[in-house]
Amino acid sequence: MTLDYTQQHLVKMANQIAGNVPSPEDVAGQIADHVTRFWTPAMRSDLGRIGREEPGVLASEVHAALAVLEADGTGR
Amino acid sequence: MNKPIEFDPAELDLGTPATLATETVTVLIDGTEVVVPAGTSVMRAASLAGTQIPKLCATDRLDAFGSCRMCLVEIEGRRGTPASCTTPCEEGMSVRTQTPRLDKLRKGVMELYISDHPLDCLTCAANGDCELQDTAGAVGLRSVRYPEARANHLSAGTDSSNPYFSFDASKCIVCSRCVRACSEVQGTFALTIAGRGFESKVSPSEEDSFLDSECVSCGACVQACPTATLQEKRVIDLGVPTRKVKTTCAYCGVGCSFVAELRGDELVRMVPDKQGGANAGHSCVKGRFAWGYASHPDRVTRPMIRDSINDDWREVDWQEAIAFTADRFKAIQTEYGVDALGGITSSRCTNEEVYVVQKMVRAALGTNNVDTCARVCHSPTGYGLKQTFGTSAGTQDFASVEQSDVIMVIGANPTDAHPVFGSRMKKRLRQGAKLVVIDPRSIDLVRSPHVAASHHLQLQPGTNVAVLNALAHVVATEGYIDEDFVRERCDLASFNAWRRFIELPENSPEHLAEISGVSADLIRSAAATYAGGGNGAIYYGLGVTEHSQGSTMVMAMANLAMATGNIGRQGVGVNPLRGQNNVQGACDMGSFPHEFSGYRHVSDDSVREQFTALWGVGLREDPGMRIPNMLDAAVSGQFRGIYIQGEDIAQSDPNSHHVEEALKAMDCVVVQDLFLNETSRYAHVFLPGTSFLEKDGTFTNAERRINRVRPVVPPASGMAEWQVTCALSAAMGYPMDYGHASEIMDEIAALTPTFTGVSFDLLEARGSVQWPCNDAAPDGTPIMHEQRFVRGEGQFVTTPYVPTDERSTRKFPLLLTTGRILSQYNVGAQTRRTENTIWHAEDILDIHEADAELRGVGDGDWIEVSSRAGSTRMRARISGDIPAGVVYTTFHHPISGTNVITTDNSDWATNCPEYKVTAVEIRPASAAEAVPA
Repeated sequence: MTLDYTQQHLVKMANQIAGNVPSPEDVAGQIADHVTRFWTPAMRSDLGRIGREEPGVLASEVHAALAVLEADGTGR
Repeated sequence: MNKPIEFDPAELDLGTPATLATETVTVLIDGTEVVVPAGTSVMRAASLAGTQIPKLCATDRLDAFGSCRMCLVEIEGRRGTPASCTTPCEEGMSVRTQTPRLDKLRKGVMELYISDHPLDCLTCAANGDCELQDTAGAVGLRSVRYPEARANHLSAGTDSSNPYFSFDASKCIVCSRCVRACSEVQGTFALTIAGRGFESKVSPSEEDSFLDSECVSCGACVQACPTATLQEKRVIDLGVPTRKVKTTCAYCGVGCSFVAELRGDELVRMVPDKQGGANAGHSCVKGRFAWGYASHPDRVTRPMIRDSINDDWREVDWQEAIAFTADRFKAIQTEYGVDALGGITSSRCTNEEVYVVQKMVRAALGTNNVDTCARVCHSPTGYGLKQTFGTSAGTQDFASVEQSDVIMVIGANPTDAHPVFGSRMKKRLRQGAKLVVIDPRSIDLVRSPHVAASHHLQLQPGTNVAVLNALAHVVATEGYIDEDFVRERCDLASFNAWRRFIELPENSPEHLAEISGVSADLIRSAAATYAGGGNGAIYYGLGVTEHSQGSTMVMAMANLAMATGNIGRQGVGVNPLRGQNNVQGACDMGSFPHEFSGYRHVSDDSVREQFTALWGVGLREDPGMRIPNMLDAAVSGQFRGIYIQGEDIAQSDPNSHHVEEALKAMDCVVVQDLFLNETSRYAHVFLPGTSFLEKDGTFTNAERRINRVRPVVPPASGMAEWQVTCALSAAMGYPMDYGHASEIMDEIAALTPTFTGVSFDLLEARGSVQWPCNDAAPDGTPIMHEQRFVRGEGQFVTTPYVPTDERSTRKFPLLLTTGRILSQYNVGAQTRRTENTIWHAEDILDIHEADAELRGVGDGDWIEVSSRAGSTRMRARISGDIPAGVVYTTFHHPISGTNVITTDNSDWATNCPEYKVTAVEIRPASAAEAVPA
């Protein structure tokens, strides 16, 4: 999978959120909450697809957040 | 036939300013008992009692001066005839304002004034609007005994160098009102009285012309002049105005109130409104004079459409333009779905215009893809203040600064970007308040006449959070925490977590000194000054928000204010200086894709039910796309049409090439604006907008003040902008029926808890009101969070410093930061179409001498500026205002294409672009290369 500009931007945004969420506790939950509150469902879905097909481009905290989203059904 | 302007008692000049005393004294004015605050001048007391004492050098906008000798009075038990303007009332004082002796003295003084004044009243520009003329009449002057042949100033010349006003020295009575206005009100000190005795004369700087002097053309001197000496050229050309309309300026977020004065339907001048809650009678060069763009020949006043962006525009009537747009939008919905459309609201438009656009997007287009130009300026303010305080707004009114003891200005340049508030701030600084400036540039406030910062933390671009953390570290570790405030007002768990974080050695000034470029000693001293110096107030601008950690920085400032107890009373607070006139309002009105009006999330079922009930349509519960997401999706082919209200994203948004690529990829780009702009090059529909002089509605300024915007002239296009939006909405199958803008505000009030008390009727009665305005606060709320935070307890948030990805490298070793200057405004669409270009005809790159020398660049040379996003060309200026390694420019002119070189880095929480940090390199450009591509 070759990431286009939009996908690269999503990756950058997600990794940036992971690096900036305020609390060191429950980083995955904070990321998941942030993208739920501010991202469209399509953007979350695209991020999930990137996580599955190009896992290396996302920070581990973002993968953890994707798991949280998957678990509560908002990642699609 | 024009009617004369009616006398407004509220505008009566009481001669001297009010005092702040709460004690009162009782005096007798011509036998009438008057009770006034202690310290009130005899002149003001007389005016309040209905007796106007003749005056020339006195005005209630300025401190008493006592030079003209017209306001002499007799006071029982005192010798002589003291000047009433400089004599304070004392208990039991008995004053006579009209006696034969006073009449004779006043007539004699007036005779001397008139003996050296042209007797050309009938042909004078100020005929009928001249205090000298009025006062001569009031004292009964009928003849002048002193022949003109004696020495006089009647042949003194006129300085017409300023594009907006002239100075006719022959008419000057040397009352010093202009000099004092420049000093006391504006704080520029550009004017002085040169010479002594008969040779005394008003002099800009060292007898320069007004244009060549330090004068900033705020108009305070013109406003203060009691004669035709300082006179607007429009009045000279057109005559004295005959009617007036109160309205609100459409430039910066100060939101100054003005009186538009007209002859018939021709606007003659804009006069700052003394009753204006935000500006109290002051103005800047933009609001006072730079409104000519509204009638500029470039205005487009008829709708235009074209099938392709390669076609020529075709003028059509409104019906065809609306039908064309609706057809295209419907076709996009059919083929690509409702989320292939979206809209952008404008901070230049009224609350009512913004509200109907976001309503159309959500209700008629069926998507939450609506965003606003605040995305690129103060979206981090919205995020950060909501997280910490509970609502997305500044905490104070502007008057609060008059109670501040320490003022911290971070990433803002008030004297250029918010000049009327800047003058207010300078006045407080001249009274002794301390100033801490945190900025890579040495802005004017760092050192200007009678103002000097006690601390200038000249940090490296991109290290704001590091510096704020270091300041907070000092506060936490050196005993500056206001423990009582924190215990009573804040969430203790979050405070304790923050305290543990901020006390870490990694947040110490010593650890962060090298990163930030600010010495530990300076940071420690600045922290002690802010936290230990009394009322500490923070004012900030886009130098805070337009960073990759913009939201973090807003929360860091909120933490600092809460930790030191600097919230919830006069003189303190955290205050965003909003860039555009209605940024606050555009955000309040539900322009963000995740929020309805009043900052309530679209996922909140109860909120959505309220809107659904009133709007009669189902609403989406998921956030829509932000502007950068829309642009990305357009490049990917998923987003196909957009309605852009009053914003030129092709010039104002970062990485212009990407913006243009996105716009080109869309099937229907609709631009609603005054002029064809850079974005309209890629548009299929152009809907002519209305200037602020044609609008009917409200703006909300940076202090949450809702001001009326009244139509001064009819819409040049024949339709109000909200009517156009409603027509498009109806064509899309969702009619919105409003008979007047006031009905839109009524709907806003019905749906927005912080606006429930707001109506046009209230604003007519009150002039303005600051939200929240509701049952709990029927008079509005000048100071927020007084008893409790909007969210209940103040929330501390830990703020780790994360360096931006945008760093200087060998290829791009300099850091570019951007800003704006006094005479121009944002992308310049308005100010470039005024005579303000005389002060700033092009964008210039400021560069430190060492960096320039290293690259062989001289002052005024053409240079090429390159970043990883692109390159552009402009001229260089060697400047001592910036440190080595940093360059600075403005973005007012499309030809310089500043945003061609800014990158797509953005704030982690809001996607606000990181305009303030771009790694660049510069090289000399030859003359042949001078014109940018």
